[in-house]
Amino acid sequence: MKKLLLVFTTTLLFFSLLTSCEGGPAGPKQVELKVFIDQPRFRKQYTAYLDRFAEKYKKEKGVEVTYNLEMPDTNAGQLLRTRFASEEGIDIYSCHAMNDLPEYTKAGYAEDLSSQPFVNKLYDNIKPVVTVDGKIRAVPLESLFWGIVYNKKIFNQLNIKPALTVSELKENIAKIKAAGYIPFLLAYKDQWIPQLLLPLTVGGFLNSEYPDFIDNMNKGRGSFADLKEFFTIMDLVNANGNKRPLDIDANLGNVEFASGKYAMYVQGPWMAQGFLEQDENFEFGVAPLPLNDNPETAQINIAVSTCLCVNPKSENKEVALALINYILDENDSSAFYESLKFNPLAKVHKFETYPWVNTAMTYVEQGKGYIDPKIPQPVKDESGAVFQSYYLKDMSQADIINALDKAWKSSLK
Amino acid sequence: MIRNMKKHTIPLLVFVSPALIAFILIMLIPMCITFFYSLTDWNGLNPEYNIVGFQNFIEAVADDYGFRNSIFFTFKYAVVMVVLQNTIALLLALLVNRIKKGKTLLRTALFMPNMISFVIGAFIWSFIFLQVLPTIAKSVYALRFLDQSWLGDSTLAFWSIVIVSLWTGIGYTMIIYLAALQNIPKEIIEQSKIDGANTFKRFIHITLPMIVPAITVCLFITMNGAFKQFDLVYALTNGGPGKSTRVLALDIYLEAFSSNYRYGYANAKAIILFFVVLFLTLVQLKVLKKREIQL
Repeated sequence: MKKLLLVFTTTLLFFSLLTSCEGGPAGPKQVELKVFIDQPRFRKQYTAYLDRFAEKYKKEKGVEVTYNLEMPDTNAGQLLRTRFASEEGIDIYSCHAMNDLPEYTKAGYAEDLSSQPFVNKLYDNIKPVVTVDGKIRAVPLESLFWGIVYNKKIFNQLNIKPALTVSELKENIAKIKAAGYIPFLLAYKDQWIPQLLLPLTVGGFLNSEYPDFIDNMNKGRGSFADLKEFFTIMDLVNANGNKRPLDIDANLGNVEFASGKYAMYVQGPWMAQGFLEQDENFEFGVAPLPLNDNPETAQINIAVSTCLCVNPKSENKEVALALINYILDENDSSAFYESLKFNPLAKVHKFETYPWVNTAMTYVEQGKGYIDPKIPQPVKDESGAVFQSYYLKDMSQADIINALDKAWKSSLK
Repeated sequence: MIRNMKKHTIPLLVFVSPALIAFILIMLIPMCITFFYSLTDWNGLNPEYNIVGFQNFIEAVADDYGFRNSIFFTFKYAVVMVVLQNTIALLLALLVNRIKKGKTLLRTALFMPNMISFVIGAFIWSFIFLQVLPTIAKSVYALRFLDQSWLGDSTLAFWSIVIVSLWTGIGYTMIIYLAALQNIPKEIIEQSKIDGANTFKRFIHITLPMIVPAITVCLFITMNGAFKQFDLVYALTNGGPGKSTRVLALDIYLEAFSSNYRYGYANAKAIILFFVVLFLTLVQLKVLKKREIQL
């Protein structure tokens, strides 16, 4: 019995020793920032930029800043939630401005950054994207101008322009088919790809014929049935695509599209790298997707995928805010964004953009651009699954409308 | 007498304590926490949450079409797997038991897929389904029926999952049956031969009753495995196309960790799954234990 007691006490002591090992008190002259960024592919660029910030901060304030930079490969959203739940003192974290930011704000994990100096540097059309409850909540990193991508070579060869109405699109499709090309690439194996039709359709209608749609949905009195021509474009795209889209995932989709057999692809320019890996001379443009014969419905979707937020519970908020402002630094930011191949989104960014971004920008400059509609993420996910079933004719239009309405309702809970 | 019991209890507790502590820490306590969260509307992020009672359970059973579909799909999958896996494994075990040469080789070959993880197996097979079979179909005219959208069609996707599950699972079940077959005393078999029983009769009246304990174990393992199936479906179809192959575990996972983040609700679903499996296991054990023969 005595021995047993001894064993227990030793174990207890051992564990208490382990727990007490967690770092001693830090002096005011040294600060460790816990940074969580969901883009491991840019580790080199981020580390270099953070180091430059540390150097600058030490020179200016005499405080030595070190980092604990976490860049998870997968399941970043889940990891971040665990970090918050276990109160591990994350200072700065990245999230998806459209999908995650509203929720993180609601849970009290996104500091109000409206009074920060960087805000004035942002382009005006970007500000609303990182605004939740009327306050700026994040500094945007990666912004997107997207709709469909089209093969420039085929379009030039056939002497056609991207359509702005469904009738024009039908004419284009006929010409493309006559020339022996497939009008649309359908790569539906990954559910997020058919899902892309949802923000494009809702966004186009919201900014033309049905401005109250999201408002009604959020008040619980709307339905997808309100969007009369919701299925028009989906049917047209599905009917003029390749066979067996459910066997083609995103990667195979890049290979297929870059092969030059397809004229259009409902996909964003974030796949640019993938296309160019297949064929470095591949030329493509970005165009809006028409929804009916009203050209107002065909607009470019403007979204911010990655942005950086400050945790209001951060113990080193002063340094964290300094870093957030440094992201849009007068001198260094431009080179940083260029090295990440992100689009310019602030007045301090002075670099050449890619040709496909320029094609998208020509539409935006004509006022044909809208901020990505705030569709709850569960609805987007649901749409990916049900659009697959719709293609397979496992679900009818009424089933789809029911499923999407239900997902929206359940997201309001 | 009481003193004597005490004398035995303490060493017993000491010996089982490492396993028991581990079990309590990583199984029992999380189970209890799961049950608690199943009564809340926690989303895994908000520091605050409300206790909603049994509302999650009611919603899952009464109002969740997707969840009901998953239950139905999982039952279908479990029945098909239990029948096919055990039948094929038993036939293979009989075959392997019978042949004289190459027994070890065959046994190893059949067991091999079981040593590969489900996820790797799923990747191998998705390559076979998407690339190899269509290529074979194109080059061999007689096999052109192989050119199908194996993972892109709701019905075929189910059978694709069954094929891969069988491929990984059969070896393990077969080894258990093989061990049981080899444990049947030779004298009984010889006796029956002298009495004039043919192969079929001998199988029905001697072999089968003698291996009932193995059948119990295998049915239990396959059924339990089928109900908890996750990784293979996750890697092979991720529940698609649409939601046609969402097994229960995947449905729960997607509820908790993707988009919806309704942790409380997902926990309620997990508790329902637990009780379903518990009930089926108890019934099965009761039925099969009766039939076992003790020598």
